[in-house]
Amino acid sequence: MKNILAIFKKELKRFFSDRRMLFMLIMPGIIIFFVYSLIGNFIPQTDPDFTYIVYVENDPVEFSSFHTNELYKTEIHSISESDRETVLAAIKEGEVHLFISYENDIINKIASYDTSSALPAPQIEIYYNSSSMESSNIYAYYSGILNAYESTISNKFDINAGLAQYDLATQEDMTARVLTSMLPYMMMIFLFSGCMAVVTESIAGEKERGTIASLLITPIKRSELAIGKILALSVTSLVSAGSSFIGLLASLPQLLKGMNFTLDIYTPGAYFALLAVLIVTVLIFTVLLSMVSAISKSVKEATSYGVPLMLIVVVLGLSTLMSTGSAKSFWLYLIPLYNSIQCLVGIFSLTFNPIHFVVTIISNLAFVFGGVFVLAKMFNNEKIMFSR
Amino acid sequence: MKEILKIENLRKTFNLSIKQRKLEGTTEKRKIAVDGLSLSAYEGEIYGLLGPNGAGKTTTLRVISTLIKADEGDVFVDGFSVKENPDEVRKIIGFLTSELKMEGFFTPNYLFDFFSELHKVPENIKKTRKELLFKKFGIDKFAEVKVADLSTGMKQKVSLAIALVNDPKIIVFDEPTSGLDVITAKVVTDFLVSLKQEGRTIIISTHIFSLVEKVCDRVGIIIDGKMKASDTLKNIMGEKSLEDAFFDIYEASEGKKL
Repeated sequence: MKNILAIFKKELKRFFSDRRMLFMLIMPGIIIFFVYSLIGNFIPQTDPDFTYIVYVENDPVEFSSFHTNELYKTEIHSISESDRETVLAAIKEGEVHLFISYENDIINKIASYDTSSALPAPQIEIYYNSSSMESSNIYAYYSGILNAYESTISNKFDINAGLAQYDLATQEDMTARVLTSMLPYMMMIFLFSGCMAVVTESIAGEKERGTIASLLITPIKRSELAIGKILALSVTSLVSAGSSFIGLLASLPQLLKGMNFTLDIYTPGAYFALLAVLIVTVLIFTVLLSMVSAISKSVKEATSYGVPLMLIVVVLGLSTLMSTGSAKSFWLYLIPLYNSIQCLVGIFSLTFNPIHFVVTIISNLAFVFGGVFVLAKMFNNEKIMFSR
Repeated sequence: MKEILKIENLRKTFNLSIKQRKLEGTTEKRKIAVDGLSLSAYEGEIYGLLGPNGAGKTTTLRVISTLIKADEGDVFVDGFSVKENPDEVRKIIGFLTSELKMEGFFTPNYLFDFFSELHKVPENIKKTRKELLFKKFGIDKFAEVKVADLSTGMKQKVSLAIALVNDPKIIVFDEPTSGLDVITAKVVTDFLVSLKQEGRTIIISTHIFSLVEKVCDRVGIIIDGKMKASDTLKNIMGEKSLEDAFFDIYEASEGKKL
């Protein structure tokens, strides 16, 4: 234990008392803050076979062709099947995706409307929920096609020109949606980048400089060396990732200017779960990159070997851009890294499942223990440690 | 005298990469670095290993210090086998080689404390030992300067001090005066003698005949991984200089005159 502490302290001293290294650890957060404050867009996508539930009031037969299109499969209901308030509530809940309310006899009203008159134009109201990707998609379709039609008939009607609240998304919905789209992916990238810098430097760098041999001839156990390094590198990586995370959170209000946004929807429990998932994830990254570094002869080589791992992380992260909730299958939470990202999705989308969380933590810790064992064996293998 | 180091039929081979095969001009995939080598070293003596480059001297020292494992045979350090009890061997050995580098970011003071901690040296003993060694080598003048900013001689002195943090029974030095200026080389040489007088066993590998003549009690001559001669310095030299004696053995081994 004392030796683990000695290695741990030495590694932390190495990273935290070097101004250049400290700068490199903090820098990503600062860059991210400025970059994401300036550039902010992300592309929502959905399943092409998805069926959109649309309610229509006073649906003019002349517009019925609008319901048929190749991009969006729709299921059209008349408002007469339900009452208006129930439909609006269902949009908020995500059960209904759109409600279009045409004025009674709108075709004739459009035909007789004089654009030079001071009278208000015939109204079309479209209610939607911007926190739902599906609702946003179908809203964009109908508002687009109606706007296009409106322009061909000299703007003889108005869309959502009234004072009603047409976007039915709650603040909670909006925040969860935005953060679920962005943060799990970005967190994974931040964690991995932070680990990549420090782990390759500490293990491949020590091999390259010949300083690890000095440790290997001392009486400390290889497992103590492995644990000491992994713990210190994980702490260092977490600081780096934490800096990036804080930079991102600080930039979000600027990035999402004009949108309803608050972090108050997350409970202290959610923050605790987030921290726990981040810690086990960074431990896994550290273990994987330590192994890669151990087999590398130099930092450059270790960085090259780390690229495929980076690609895996990117692909896993990208999968969350299209999701609105976490995976449901229990078994998927046994897969390291994939389970981490799904847990993050669950936390940010407010669909957190405690069983999935516990399975993720246990599965990832088991992977880390196995990794430490393998790494200790690698430290004891002269062909790996002293290869030329 | 007590036998501190015993090497029995040591054999070590290495895989050769394609690049190494090209460099060595061979098609063999394995190279025999040490081939059935045996030797003994006793308490309070300096044993010198002489041999050309690639003879197997450094490989032998690396096996003794537990950095690498033997394919066959064994090494016993104060009775502990490097195969069976490497941790015990590491507790009682000091190893100094150009292969072992110090992290340039740290100061001599920090590194001495760090390695003392790994060797579980009690605080009061560490303090006394550090004062003694730092004063002996003049490290106290640059104890708080980062290793990266030190000269080669200064670094070698710090490496030497760190190799002694655990007050080892046996000290293994690969080319102890290599790259040192004459003043530092003399400090190191004198220190080796003083360690021997304290009863430590010292194994050195070197190309420098004068160093062996000056400090070694016994000498082993390794050529092509085999121990060609191992005896007291006086018996190896006979009536000749050590250099002449070495080349006689070398030429006899190679079967040709240089």
